[in-house]
Amino acid sequence: MSSGVEHAVIAASAQRIAAPPVRVSGIGFVTPIGRTLEAFDDALFHGRSAVRSNTLAIPGMDSVEIPVAACDFDSNGVRSTSRLPLDRGTAMALAAAQDAAAQAGLTRDSVDPERLGIFWGSGLAGAGSFDNTTQALYAEQRRMRPTTVLTVMPNAAVAELALHFGAHGAAIAYACACASSAVAIGEAMRAIRGGWIDVAIVGGHDAMLTPGVMASWQAMRVMAAPPAGAPETACRPFSGDRAGFALGEGAAALVLESEAHARSRGVADAGEGTSYVLAGYATNCDGTHITNPDSAGQVRAMRAALRDAGIDATQIGHVNAHGTATIAGDAAEAASVREVFGSAMPVCATKAIHGHVLGGGGAIELVATLRALAHEAVPPIANLREPDAAFDLAFVRGEARAMPGMRWAMSNSFAFGGINAVLVAGRIDAPSR
Amino acid sequence: MSTSPTFNSIARILENDFHVEAKLVAPQTALADLGLDSLALMEFVFAVEDAFHLRIPEDRLDPREAGITLQRLCEVIDAESAATVGAVHAPEAAHA
Repeated sequence: MSSGVEHAVIAASAQRIAAPPVRVSGIGFVTPIGRTLEAFDDALFHGRSAVRSNTLAIPGMDSVEIPVAACDFDSNGVRSTSRLPLDRGTAMALAAAQDAAAQAGLTRDSVDPERLGIFWGSGLAGAGSFDNTTQALYAEQRRMRPTTVLTVMPNAAVAELALHFGAHGAAIAYACACASSAVAIGEAMRAIRGGWIDVAIVGGHDAMLTPGVMASWQAMRVMAAPPAGAPETACRPFSGDRAGFALGEGAAALVLESEAHARSRGVADAGEGTSYVLAGYATNCDGTHITNPDSAGQVRAMRAALRDAGIDATQIGHVNAHGTATIAGDAAEAASVREVFGSAMPVCATKAIHGHVLGGGGAIELVATLRALAHEAVPPIANLREPDAAFDLAFVRGEARAMPGMRWAMSNSFAFGGINAVLVAGRIDAPSR
Repeated sequence: MSTSPTFNSIARILENDFHVEAKLVAPQTALADLGLDSLALMEFVFAVEDAFHLRIPEDRLDPREAGITLQRLCEVIDAESAATVGAVHAPEAAHA
């Protein structure tokens, strides 16, 4: 028997047949635009940016102003199960995941630990902690701490999350640069659909606003210069005068669960007969360049995600773009979204207000996508006055665009390394699926 | 019951940085009874050393010997602090 033939058949069917959606039964987040739904929605739908100017002054380097979106967050207030000191991003991950689990009503008694997984993404994970540690080591002649490795390792947050929730099913860290959390979320959906687990705590984070890491990004020339007197306008996605992104920090977590499991533990809908689902996911790789994105790869990923969701491009109400506001990034994405959806597709891009949270961006932007579905409105792209004349899409700007009856939306994450990850989220009004 | 400045400082570290319940933080509490594992205890001793700007020689306080009480830890800190101050002044004394 040729297993190769069998695999080909299975792979072909996987491309054609949509699998059932999984329930999003809770969300939680720590972001520059707030930790509560009220604060998050207020900034999101009013296009209120948390980007500020930050002076990067390192001995031996010219002082420079860079745009940064930081969180009002005290990592010391987060208690870890290990009792070890936490990387700031790990603390954000724990805080976000605890909020998501609380919203989902998820307790240790309500899920078989062997059926619970942690799927988490981060681009640079403990880079901020490592930067601080090496500063202490080289500049201050202090010792390395006994727990340096444990705070810096890429799965530091995953490990603490698994400890906190007692997850025995899986605890996997995804490092896919700026698509990390989108990949983590999608892979968790696959694991639930495949029957490997019933519930997953998913999401991602990055928190590395430390001098050495900020200098690394500055050296790449991908960040915008904060305009004098209006640093909040630094990041201008899809604008003719876009100049790059603002560096953000934060975390977002979701509880994903099979519909059957959600019902078995009596999870009601999110209120008023509405529930939210993750319906489609695809990831692929351009395989063409380490930083320069390829529209063709993005098109393939978006179409694969639609197939996975079993819906048509015309059913998507809006696209939450990756939208980093770099020259090349926005150009590639404007072309790919145009090719998949045509020029009438409403497009938003929220990095303008919460900054580029890198590995955590996909999760935060999925939360923004779910909030748009909840409000049946697409948030405006902050700081976008004149779209690039070469782009032919319905960019939402000025104020939010009402979309009554909007049921499906797409969130894009396109990363260094050519990694594309696309998620399709939905709002289901009839609770009887 | 001792509430020396030294004890208050290490109590603050235990409660704020290691989230040890306040009721456990008493002079007679052994390190082993703080609910911290050996790695966290090592990290705690590092934090104490940094806070007091001193090094505790391992022969005076091996963190793996977790039977040591917080009171004993305070005594070691106070003794090492006095020795450190003496060491700083020693060269001047030699030149005098």
